[in-house]
Amino acid sequence: MASFSVIDSFKLSKKKFFRAPQWELKLAIRILIGFLVLYFLAAFLFLGIGIYFIVQKTVPDQNPVFFVNEFLIYYFGIELLIRYFVQNLPITDIKPLLVQPISKNKIVQGVMLRSLGSFFNWIPMVILVPFGIVYSLNEPTTYTLWIWVIGVLFISGINNFLVFFINKNRVVGLSVFLLLLAGSFFQHVLGIPLLSFFGKGFNYLYLHPISIVVPLALFFGIVCAQYFFLKKQLYLDKGFSEKKERIVGSDLKIFDRAGILGLFIKNDIRLILRNVRARQVVFVGFLFLFYGIIFFSQKVYLESYVMLIFAGVFTTGGFMLSFGQLVPAWDSEYYSFLMCQNIPYRKYLESKLYLMMFSVVISMVLSLPYLYFGLKIMTIIIACAIFNFGMGSFITLYSGAFNATPVKLNVKAKAFENTQNFSLTQLLFTLPKIVLPVLVFYVPFRFFGFSAGILGMILTGLLGLLFRGFLLRAIEKTYQKRKYKTLSSFKKT
Amino acid sequence: MITVTDLSKKYGGTLVLQLPELNIPKGQRFGLVGNNGAGKTTFFSLILDLIESTSGRITINEIDVKSSEDWKPFTAAFIDESYLIGYLTVEEYYYFLGNLRGLSTKEIDTWVLNFESFFNGEILGKKKYLRDLSKGNQKKAGIVGSLIGSPDLVILDEPFANLDPSSQIRLKKLIENIAKNSEITFLISSHDLTHVTEVCDRIVLLENGTILKDIKTTSSTLKELESYFSLKE
Repeated sequence: MASFSVIDSFKLSKKKFFRAPQWELKLAIRILIGFLVLYFLAAFLFLGIGIYFIVQKTVPDQNPVFFVNEFLIYYFGIELLIRYFVQNLPITDIKPLLVQPISKNKIVQGVMLRSLGSFFNWIPMVILVPFGIVYSLNEPTTYTLWIWVIGVLFISGINNFLVFFINKNRVVGLSVFLLLLAGSFFQHVLGIPLLSFFGKGFNYLYLHPISIVVPLALFFGIVCAQYFFLKKQLYLDKGFSEKKERIVGSDLKIFDRAGILGLFIKNDIRLILRNVRARQVVFVGFLFLFYGIIFFSQKVYLESYVMLIFAGVFTTGGFMLSFGQLVPAWDSEYYSFLMCQNIPYRKYLESKLYLMMFSVVISMVLSLPYLYFGLKIMTIIIACAIFNFGMGSFITLYSGAFNATPVKLNVKAKAFENTQNFSLTQLLFTLPKIVLPVLVFYVPFRFFGFSAGILGMILTGLLGLLFRGFLLRAIEKTYQKRKYKTLSSFKKT
Repeated sequence: MITVTDLSKKYGGTLVLQLPELNIPKGQRFGLVGNNGAGKTTFFSLILDLIESTSGRITINEIDVKSSEDWKPFTAAFIDESYLIGYLTVEEYYYFLGNLRGLSTKEIDTWVLNFESFFNGEILGKKKYLRDLSKGNQKKAGIVGSLIGSPDLVILDEPFANLDPSSQIRLKKLIENIAKNSEITFLISSHDLTHVTEVCDRIVLLENGTILKDIKTTSSTLKELESYFSLKE
């Protein structure tokens, strides 16, 4: 029984990777992503080193530790939320191990240890440890500082395991998000410092090192809870059983009037409502709505129109870009079925196009609060929306013809593993989607000023609408030409 | 109904299918047998224009499948689970197919009742997504789906596999009934020699991509096929 160790569990993961189809390409992508991860880790490292000096400069009379504590609740809240969307226990991988002579303890330990390797567990470490070192070099410190660091790291560890339980329940996930939102609303808008209590709690950890028993107890508590929970789940009818899903989105009669087009739109709505991966992408598209805040609220960017156009394109086209770039891959699971049905290709493409256009309208309406930043910003947003509506949508649809990597509909994409649909051609196609709007704005803007730039964007959008039939035909031809290629790559998973 | 001329399909350098000539007349129940890798699914995929032939052509009702899409309105197929849309319920799937083929939702509701005994109460009104059905029930749902809108040509790949014994027998009766009352052409591949000889009036045996036998089914056909496959051991 003892021969199967945690190391063997890692070995299996390794084999799974190297024996997957196209692993060479995946390896190349992994290396690229490795660099990206390194970049982020380095950035966080510098943040960790820098925090002390930043606080010294901006609020010299506050203890940097207390300053950091104020932010920790936001950090953990957001971390939990991101983990909720991307972190998953690799529980199905272990199904074949069940009938092997491996003790259940070993299996569960393997799964739980592997989850500790998650990127999210590294972030607080690379921030807090350098912060602690810098702090202790500059201030007289005692061991309490390191107790605090360890305590906070354990809280992040709690998150790592907590997310597993939250994952089981969508309501809990949503309420974490809403609580955080409500908390910051009370704190910043109403001036009731609810979230500061958490900051005080973390301060307490620093001032009274004995209180580290609280995070420690919670950590070991949740580890044990998960351990025993998972052990009980190692049965086919428990952890591996497919949950019976509630049927959602069955009543879509309003689209019946739209004929064949309505049929496809109905399918697409159901696709989004009923599949994990699609919901995930839509959520990402939703997050893009907030992209503008970063740019519109900063004086630096207000000087540079190029950045504002970027922001406008992403804010109004987030869903279009994230959902649209996976057309036709959304239908990859049954693409051969679609191809031998009595379906005009054109109608299929049109329904996807309308869905994207519709999303741009919704995004624009939801962007109306940006009026707060002034009329100029609003003008940019509206111009970007018109561009996305009339031109961006066509480019996105066209680029889809070259994306032949299948999408697993009901499987979550993991953090930094969202490479399922990564390809060089896709990367190339993001250029016109982002650079073109900047270009059609910037060239007239350079010569005739702001209004001309805005007009340039609007006209480009209208041009796309005017030549709608022509563009659709061209796109249809491209899809048809690539049909066999697409079909054969959709077959590979 | 289907005419094949000089058809060949190569993957890399290997020839996987070579059919110099094959005619399948209207209303025939055409059975295709052969071991794995014989080229059955490749042939079906070529008919449905899902892969490109290396040479030669296939026509359905005189329509070249490669250069026109006009064969699609009267052709239906169920090859595997990827012919289902996993996130739809059975009813939604049938409405989708039926509406595409010009039937109204009400017409589909009444039409589907014809298959109640085949479904054995396990398919309709279950409030389940197709992806959550068992393999056998997915197959039943898919086979019936391919019959919606009375197409002229129905292609079924391994329809008997994964079905429980009662359903296999019901499926045989179903196909025979349809054949009696209509002119639908069936193309059926199967590993189950008993079933395929009972259902089909013509059997073609494929081996390494070529036709070894082309038999009009008689009472001795099953023996003939069985002796062929047992000699191969």
